[in-house]
Amino acid sequence: MSAAGKNIIVAATVSGGRGREGGDRAPKGRCVVGRLSEFPPGTRKIVTVGGRSIGVFNIGGQFFALRNQCPHQGAPLCRGRVKGTTIPGKPYEYVYGRDQEIIQCPWHGWEFEITTGRTFFNPHRMRVKTYEVSVEPDGEVDVTLETFEVTTEGEFVILHA
Amino acid sequence: MPEPTGGTPIIDCDVHNRFKDGKMTALWPYLPRAYQEDVREWGINIPSVGYPNGGDRGYRGDAWPADGFPGSDLDLMREQLLDAFNVEYAVLLGQELRPLGTLPNADYAAALARAYNDYVIEHWLSVEPRLRGAMLIATQDIPAAVKEVERIGRHPGIVEVLVSNGARLPYGNRYYRPVLEVCEALGLPFALHTGSEGAGINGQPSLAGHGSYYVENRQVRPQGYMTHLTSLIFEGSFESFPKLRVVFVEGGYAWLAPFLWRLDADWKGLRHQTPWVRKPPSEYVWEHVRFASQPLEEPEQPSQLLEIFKWNRADRTLVFSSDYPHWDFDSPTQAFPRLPEDLRRRIFYETAQELYGFTAHAVSPGVSRRPTRSPA
Repeated sequence: MSAAGKNIIVAATVSGGRGREGGDRAPKGRCVVGRLSEFPPGTRKIVTVGGRSIGVFNIGGQFFALRNQCPHQGAPLCRGRVKGTTIPGKPYEYVYGRDQEIIQCPWHGWEFEITTGRTFFNPHRMRVKTYEVSVEPDGEVDVTLETFEVTTEGEFVILHA
Repeated sequence: MPEPTGGTPIIDCDVHNRFKDGKMTALWPYLPRAYQEDVREWGINIPSVGYPNGGDRGYRGDAWPADGFPGSDLDLMREQLLDAFNVEYAVLLGQELRPLGTLPNADYAAALARAYNDYVIEHWLSVEPRLRGAMLIATQDIPAAVKEVERIGRHPGIVEVLVSNGARLPYGNRYYRPVLEVCEALGLPFALHTGSEGAGINGQPSLAGHGSYYVENRQVRPQGYMTHLTSLIFEGSFESFPKLRVVFVEGGYAWLAPFLWRLDADWKGLRHQTPWVRKPPSEYVWEHVRFASQPLEEPEQPSQLLEIFKWNRADRTLVFSSDYPHWDFDSPTQAFPRLPEDLRRRIFYETAQELYGFTAHAVSPGVSRRPTRSPA
């Protein structure tokens, strides 16, 4: 969607989760995060949906959402640095890559892929919950949802959280 | 955000206060004039090895105030630590000047120690009643160090005498004996904090020298603490100074019991070489030595720690520490496995309260978090 400058909604939908998310007890919700024009690539917003804090990221024009709570000790993960990282390789080889695709927890430095919520060191077993994000044109958006600085014109980014 | 601790007050035995600016200008007025000229030109100038650190320039990414370094803003420290976790007492261990034992110039090191001790009392301990402080000494000049403990160690806000893990000799060595003696006389625990390993005039960080990377440097901490602990026991420090207490900060804890099993076994056959060691080494530890918890080991199953806590007699030897605002901060509500209530109370409050002689539960939880006793 070539939406620069247009108004769209970023929205997140919360559905049931795993582990600490609480399964059936997890609240479900959907919220409007903001207008696309106010949410350029490289920026993030932290919103609260169904009582939980969620970070929404625009990485090169694509939107991703992660729970703002590190699975390690509960730090506000989504306030960490967005960065690349050194790619595992041969001894004494330093290859930097994945620029802007990694978030590093502000406490203990654990690195997560923003795109998948998986950790770099144990991608199959240690991860942070991700949520769906959609970009939707105005008119198809129920603005009675939890709403953040949204107008009813143009397109919106919706967090399905 | 952190979950509240349920209104139960806790004691945090390792918190780091910093100067706002890298030049430490707030320290300058406490230094003799001759050194003020030097530090204007050269800065405080304390040696380090040259490793990078972790996190955001060594700190929690969310602990940077609007201006200055983490740990320099008392309001933010209140918000993120003292208020957030209902900390009734927090012990400040400083930051920039802790490695002053690495300096070649003993007189300058002693002047820095004096300046810091005066500074921390005036700028921190006299300002926030929940704060207590470790005092620094320069071990390059033992008579001066003793004099400094006698000068400042009776201040009610000063609760321990602090040195670094990195050293020139193990701390049980007779070279340090007058310091242990004055600590016992004044009822001040002798505390070691990790750091300075292999820096400046100190010995090599490990028997094989320096590792190439910072992660290797972190693993020399328990090696150093094993060396110092063994030295204190076998040089008879706890026989000479039966009321002496020693605190090991930030050097690990899970290694303790297996290490003591070795010491106890060796002592049985080698006791005759150090006949003043009258008890199994482990017994000196249970009575005299305490360990600050952070960074608490993270076994595959968190509950495995509970077994280790039994081996280590954690109800007597473990005190909680967060290491705020450093990047490897341990959250009081997240770092530990679920503990039996009596053990939780021992680790998070009672053992430290007994160690430092704090007035217990100076204020009822929920009424006010501020203790009534002011250190000033």
